[in-house]
Amino acid sequence: MINFAKLGFIKKLSGSESTEVTIPSEIAQIRKISTKILALAGEHTKKESALFDIRLCIEEAVRNAIVHGNNSDHRKKVMIEYGVSSGSLYIIVEDQGKGFDYKTLPNPTHEKNILRNSGRGVHLILNLMDAVEFNERGNRIKMIKRLR
Amino acid sequence: MGLRIEMKNDLAICHIDGEIDINTSPDIKKSLDKLLSKKVVKIIINLTKVSYVDSSGLATLVEILKNMRSYGGKMKISNMSPKVKSLFEITKLDRLFDIVPDEQEAINTFA
Repeated sequence: MINFAKLGFIKKLSGSESTEVTIPSEIAQIRKISTKILALAGEHTKKESALFDIRLCIEEAVRNAIVHGNNSDHRKKVMIEYGVSSGSLYIIVEDQGKGFDYKTLPNPTHEKNILRNSGRGVHLILNLMDAVEFNERGNRIKMIKRLR
Repeated sequence: MGLRIEMKNDLAICHIDGEIDINTSPDIKKSLDKLLSKKVVKIIINLTKVSYVDSSGLATLVEILKNMRSYGGKMKISNMSPKVKSLFEITKLDRLFDIVPDEQEAINTFA
């Protein structure tokens, strides 16, 4: 269960109705969950650019949860909670892994890392969402995108 | 996802149709690896019909570029939508890749 009370900046969204979904750690689930959340976002905005960002960030976060968090272990689950309140979409993605420290992730835009084959997902999320927060353990990401 | 490769002498123009993401990237890489195995030295990736790219797609393009560079090949990417281009800018890959507005300009600058 995701604890909203601990999420300082999400407190203001506490009046919203949220949806919780638990998925197995399978790549095929990524598109399914992004389609569900985009359907909700699409009821509140027609901005193609915002919908593009939302899809990308959901898919990056869920993929990270499946591949890096849960090590693609099908027995492990990914919990997703989302909703719209006060003109913003919020999405929380939590895996059952050990977590990671996003502050120590190599900056993928640095010259020494630019040719690396991975490491751009979190960077994209941090740049495309309006607010992003990780829990201390690093197995849960919270993302907010304004829809208007 | 579809991929059509048009050969013009020593130049390969690759038209990708669809999305370049975690699901389609392996197939795109496989198709382009065939070109790279023939040491094609000039490749244009035309993204006119690409509406979505994720970090797997970006990583695949980086990998192809690295492989091409290993034998002296050159790649240009053309016809990016503003949204796809913004992903290259955010990740600073716009500095790594030779990005040109359209295919004709890519051909001209290869000549």
